Amino acid sequence: LLSGSPVEQILTRQFGALEFEAAAVLEFPAGLPGFEDQTRFVLVEQPATAPVVFLQSLLSPELCFLAAPMVAVDPGYDLAVTPEDLRLIELDDQRQPRPGDEVVCLALLSAAEDGPLTANLLAPVVVNVRTRRAIQAVRVDSRYSHVHPLATRGASCS
Amino acid sequence: VLVIRRRAGESLLIGDDVEVVILETGSSQVKLGIRAPKEITVLRKEIHLTRQQNRVASSEVSAAAMNRLLDTLR
Repeated sequence: LLSGSPVEQILTRQFGALEFEAAAVLEFPAGLPGFEDQTRFVLVEQPATAPVVFLQSLLSPELCFLAAPMVAVDPGYDLAVTPEDLRLIELDDQRQPRPGDEVVCLALLSAAEDGPLTANLLAPVVVNVRTRRAIQAVRVDSRYSHVHPLATRGASCS
Repeated sequence: VLVIRRRAGESLLIGDDVEVVILETGSSQVKLGIRAPKEITVLRKEIHLTRQQNRVASSEVSAAAMNRLLDTLR
């Protein structure tokens, strides 16, 4: 959290009363696919669940996605954001942004009770670090899956 | 799967109301124009898949599932 900006509070399903600073809000001008009206989120990090982070909607208290830094899911991930999407989050549309420096890159995770553990590598969440504008940038190629399986470490691979 | 060969400038119809026009062809891409009634959603398939997956991902995650997740990522 940055200091000096006004603190707001929202009552969430996942965290109860959640305080956040206005400067920490992520603006998703296009929402997320399937959730086009959800344009304001905050990222909640908790030591107990690191590296998993929570993408909590500020417009729907019950809506919270799980995410992980792309580097934790696929260290070799090759970012490919379309020029239109880059413009939407106020980045140079002539080249790919540098993860870590210019953008934070996250994969949304699925962990349904009766389903497999997967990460959406087809559509990473990309956040402009400078302006806090963000987008779920759906790729136009088919190099990565929307249901990339997360394998348990230490499992034998043969 | 129905296979149809078309050139740039030609089109095909799906039902009575949906027309797909081949605007441009390149070595690795084709540019399509789609004329369809407003009530028909036209989406890249990747966006459709991500929509569906976002609905799955937005469901509540149990403590047990969170532990399984952390097992895979730590």
